[in-house]
Amino acid sequence: MESWIEFGRGPLFRIAFSLMLLGLARIFALTVLGLVEAYGRSSDKIVNWREVRNQTIAWLFPMNRLWRKRPVYSTISFFFHLGLLLVPLFLAAHVLLWKRAAGFAWPALPQRLSNYLALVAIVAGLGLFSGRFLYPAARKLSRRQDLAWPLLLVLPFITGYVCSNLAIRPTTYDAMMLVHVYSANLIMLLIPFTKIAHCVLAPLSQIVTAMAWKFPAGAGDRVAATLGHADRPTWVKNSRMVQAAPADEVSAK
Amino acid sequence: MNRVRRLKFVLWSLLGLAASVAVPRFLFGLGASTNLSDANPWGVWIGFDVMAGVALAAGGFIVTATVYIFKLDRFHAVVRPAVLTAFLGYAAVAISLLFDLGLPWNIWHMMVFWNPHSPLFEVGWCVMLYLAVLALEFFPVPAEDFPRLAKVRAVLVKARLPLVILGIGLSTLHQSSLGSLFLIMPYRLHPLWYSPILPLLFLVSAIALGISMVIFESHVTAYLYRRQPESEVLASFAGASRWVLLIYLAVRFGDLLVRHQAGQLLAFDWRAAIFWFEVAAMAIVPIALFWTSRVRQSRAGQWATASLVVFGVVLNRIDVGGVAHLRPDGAFYLPAWTEIAISVGVVSAAVLAFLFMVERFRVWERRPADPEQDPLKLPEFDAVDDTWLGVPGIAARTTYSMAFIIAAAFGFGFLHVEAAETRGLEPIPVHQARGGRDILWIDGNLDGFGVTFKHVEHEKREGAKQSCVKCHHMNLPRDEGTACSRCHGDMYLPSDSFRHDWHASPSGGRVACYQCHARGQARTAATAVACDKCHKDLVPAGAAIKVKQYRAVAYTEAMHRLCIGCHVKKAKENKKPEMTRCDWCHKDKRQVIDSREIVLRRRGLTGINVVLPPPDAGGK
Repeated sequence: MESWIEFGRGPLFRIAFSLMLLGLARIFALTVLGLVEAYGRSSDKIVNWREVRNQTIAWLFPMNRLWRKRPVYSTISFFFHLGLLLVPLFLAAHVLLWKRAAGFAWPALPQRLSNYLALVAIVAGLGLFSGRFLYPAARKLSRRQDLAWPLLLVLPFITGYVCSNLAIRPTTYDAMMLVHVYSANLIMLLIPFTKIAHCVLAPLSQIVTAMAWKFPAGAGDRVAATLGHADRPTWVKNSRMVQAAPADEVSAK
Repeated sequence: MNRVRRLKFVLWSLLGLAASVAVPRFLFGLGASTNLSDANPWGVWIGFDVMAGVALAAGGFIVTATVYIFKLDRFHAVVRPAVLTAFLGYAAVAISLLFDLGLPWNIWHMMVFWNPHSPLFEVGWCVMLYLAVLALEFFPVPAEDFPRLAKVRAVLVKARLPLVILGIGLSTLHQSSLGSLFLIMPYRLHPLWYSPILPLLFLVSAIALGISMVIFESHVTAYLYRRQPESEVLASFAGASRWVLLIYLAVRFGDLLVRHQAGQLLAFDWRAAIFWFEVAAMAIVPIALFWTSRVRQSRAGQWATASLVVFGVVLNRIDVGGVAHLRPDGAFYLPAWTEIAISVGVVSAAVLAFLFMVERFRVWERRPADPEQDPLKLPEFDAVDDTWLGVPGIAARTTYSMAFIIAAAFGFGFLHVEAAETRGLEPIPVHQARGGRDILWIDGNLDGFGVTFKHVEHEKREGAKQSCVKCHHMNLPRDEGTACSRCHGDMYLPSDSFRHDWHASPSGGRVACYQCHARGQARTAATAVACDKCHKDLVPAGAAIKVKQYRAVAYTEAMHRLCIGCHVKKAKENKKPEMTRCDWCHKDKRQVIDSREIVLRRRGLTGINVVLPPPDAGGK
């Protein structure tokens, strides 16, 4: 088991981590390239850049907008993100690992604070999952990855919390650490290829929306054709919502 | 996926692998990322990338000479691809050199600090100038597509003949002087390859290779883009190539006869075998094949024979560049996978650039139909947010970039730990001092240079049993007089004398985290319980050296600090200043131990070429 942990912390971590960084860089570059091309191809080049900028900044803090409609969801989501970002990056033990392997490090959070943040992330993650699972409307809209991600993200937090706080035997510790390391590696491997890529794409989301107005005529029909709905008119308002039945089909693409 | 796409996919993956290797190469240097050493500074990057790369690009000057000097206009169809290949080939050589040079940012030095006595100086200048000439020769082709560049293009077209003449001059100069480089090492290069006319051999084989490369390349691209190769032109080239190869064969064997080295041909060793394999592949078999008219006329025959020549000449360059070198016993070099990845990556980049140029500009008479355009293809969507952003400029860039990053990530993952995380020094484990209690032979890295330490004599002089703690300042549990190497475990790097992971491991110390680390606090060395809480006998009473942390200094440092400190004191007391000199302890007696073991242990300790006396002469 120890050699498996070593593999997970050594070569596998290097693969997963570099794939995450390169993959995020790639998806960002591809999106920017696509935007530039779409802009170049558009007939109408007028974009309200100031509005795009304001919207982008406003959406980086979802509490502002979502607070009015879905206060519980947006609060949980905010705290989930808080724990998700701060704990892996600023946990003292992780900082120490960086210092040992790479020779550089950054200030760490106090242990007590990171413990609380980890607990918050675990509770919030489970809350988000049950929200998606229990509400029929939310479950209809959810893709498989929407349901799987909160659970997968919570896994390393639970095991990490157990490892760093509970009095357990070394064998149990190793088992927990194995799950911790491999689930974290899996997360890093999947990030650039799933919806978690929003961690770098979020600043672009409003530009994408702005550009979507500049698409050449007929773009919507081509989208429908690719999704296998060439016969369905694209102008139906909220077509996904109205015809709920093939929603799975749409998401499976 | 069609042929071109599949090839590009593979090439992008290889490029990704090379990119991952390039990071430790430039961050941590050659020692950390390659198998190159001071004893073997020229590896596959020189043998393949530079030596073979320059030769592979010889097609440029041969075809331009044929068309523009000898005015054989029917060969015009192959001029542009040949010049492009030459240009990209030389660019690849230059890039490989940047990898191979220990201080790549000093590459400009040869332009300012002249050493006209060195063939390498000439090669460097020629390659640099010829790269510029090739760029100017090829520039009119892409310029066709840009009306703004029409004037520049017109000037360059007018200057074509002088450029071609200059190019031929430079090519012949450095193709041959790549051979001259090895004239300096008559005792290192095996006599089957070493020859005073090595420059001539290189030039003739480069001409043969250049011609074959044109044939080879034309057929490969014909396969990729499903176009007709210039078969008739190529047949004439094949006809010419057999004569050049015949001349080469005659010169090569004649040279062996004149040098009285022909006996080596029948020697029963692997070098002779490689020689025969090389000569058969590059000359004997191709001559026989190209002499048959049917082979010369057929596509398959042309392609197979030309590939054979290309393979043979590349092998020849690699042999001269390294394989055929006579090495001192045990100095063995096999390229690391990282070196091969860089070589392959540079070639991939060149091929990708070639394919791009061919698709984008009028390199051939007819531009190939864009293999990536498929009128029936449905639009692609952004993988993440499902938006359609139109047909991308570089088709399939999603696929290629995916190939690139996945290969790069795996490259990072499988880099040697030292290559990825080192700070310059390779770890060299220390071996315990050997001998009885009376006299110890201290030679931590077993390189044969060591110190005889009169243990008992020191002990008596310092006060019998009471003297132990003057040196032995820490003991393993239930041990006394623990050997230095148990904690000072590396020759030149500090090592971990505590071994945290062993303590925590279920198969080791079986100590749970909370037994050392307080709850609710970050688990660091600062918050842990002190060692002597459990290990009562860790530090012997009256130990002269107080240890404050778990990091043990390097073995050499520990030894030097301990011995020199005391020797300086005693030298003053006893008025014996020679006691502080290096040779008081380091007597320079070469101990005879198995030479192979030395080489194995010596990895990383480069620069010292140990020459061993015969076993019976030891100790003198």
